[in-house]
Amino acid sequence: MTTLTDRYVWGVLRSVPEAQRVELEPEIRALVADAIDARAMSDGTPADPGAAERAALVELGDPEALAARYTGRSPYLIGPRLFGAWRRVVVPVTAVVVPIVSIVTLAASLLGGAPVGQAIVSTLSTGFMVAMQILFWVTFVFAVMERTGVEATIDSQPWTPDHLPEVPAPERIGLGEAIASLTASIFVAVAIVWQQAAPPVVVDGQGQPLLDPALWSFWLPYFLVIVVLEIAFTAVLYLRGRWTYPLATVNAALGAAFAIPALWLLQNGMLFNPAVIDGIDEATGGGWLAPTVIITGITIAVIVAWDAVDGFRKAYRNAHMRSPSAA
Amino acid sequence: MDFDEILSAGQQELRRGTVVLACLLLLRKPGYGYALLDELRGIGLSVDANTLYPLLRRLEGQGLLVSEWNTQEARPRKFYRISLVGERLTTSLLADWMRIDDSIRRLAHGDTR
Repeated sequence: MTTLTDRYVWGVLRSVPEAQRVELEPEIRALVADAIDARAMSDGTPADPGAAERAALVELGDPEALAARYTGRSPYLIGPRLFGAWRRVVVPVTAVVVPIVSIVTLAASLLGGAPVGQAIVSTLSTGFMVAMQILFWVTFVFAVMERTGVEATIDSQPWTPDHLPEVPAPERIGLGEAIASLTASIFVAVAIVWQQAAPPVVVDGQGQPLLDPALWSFWLPYFLVIVVLEIAFTAVLYLRGRWTYPLATVNAALGAAFAIPALWLLQNGMLFNPAVIDGIDEATGGGWLAPTVIITGITIAVIVAWDAVDGFRKAYRNAHMRSPSAA
Repeated sequence: MDFDEILSAGQQELRRGTVVLACLLLLRKPGYGYALLDELRGIGLSVDANTLYPLLRRLEGQGLLVSEWNTQEARPRKFYRISLVGERLTTSLLADWMRIDDSIRRLAHGDTR
């Protein structure tokens, strides 16, 4: 019959190299026996040796941890010696590879004619899988290095002050950036007015605006108002000189106020002029609308999302920068 | 973190290095694990059995202790005793300990020299 002690001793020995087991076994048995004796004596209850054994084993703790103390082996996967190098590999590799693979997957599935939902799902799952693969393999290699005691060649140069990162320069918003932003806003406003005033598409000998004229009852004026607000925002931003969290929040809100109705109208087929859709259908035999909607939608979403994120990124950098020149 | 936790962490830190020296001194006369544990507890150095046993084995591996299985009693026990090398190390560590004790004492009395 195997006792708890037998199982505990085996629990320790199995994490020890075989060559050391024979020598270590009597030692661990003596340790456990001593611990049980001490228990039984301090509790003063020799009546129940089972309870004393159990309590003594609890006190000795996880047999694997005890084995690690005996062998001097690290009970961790990647220790402090390699952790820094591990992180310096995992973070940049993941940050570069995962977005690239995701964008390629998204483009490939959309161009392959997959529905938007399915394309997004496959993009997310591919990105996730790639991230897991990177994490697993890099960690695996580092764990092997930890066990075998190989030095990380990445860290083979001793650290010197030359390795210190540069303090990022304060980001004063340049005139160029402000003008670029203004130009984009004005372009959108002009495009909305121009497509109505000088219809670019001719159907049955009659010029037709690209956007549904019914939208002039509310949505197109609304978009024009948003564009005007964007222009005002750019002016405020330029005068302030630097991105802050409140400014980034306003920027993101303006972007959302533009993009969400636009995407909603697009999704529900209310954005384009039905006359133009019919005309192009007749000319091309149809099939163009769905991809056009997808590409337009993604373009709007990506531009607005990037703009919003970029604002916060710059605000973050300004908030976390303590260089003498910023004082 | 409350004060008691900080205190016990600080004490642990202080005692960590002392345990080796105390073991070497105690093992000038032969002893086995649990008896040593009691003696250490007696001088205010509480160590867990699962730390002390591997430590003794490590010191033996470093040649600071020698061991012998005693099979006379009811149960075989591994008795440790200090070796010549261990004696040399003890002398050096003890000198160091005295120096530290001296310096700390002077610091505690506000003497910066």
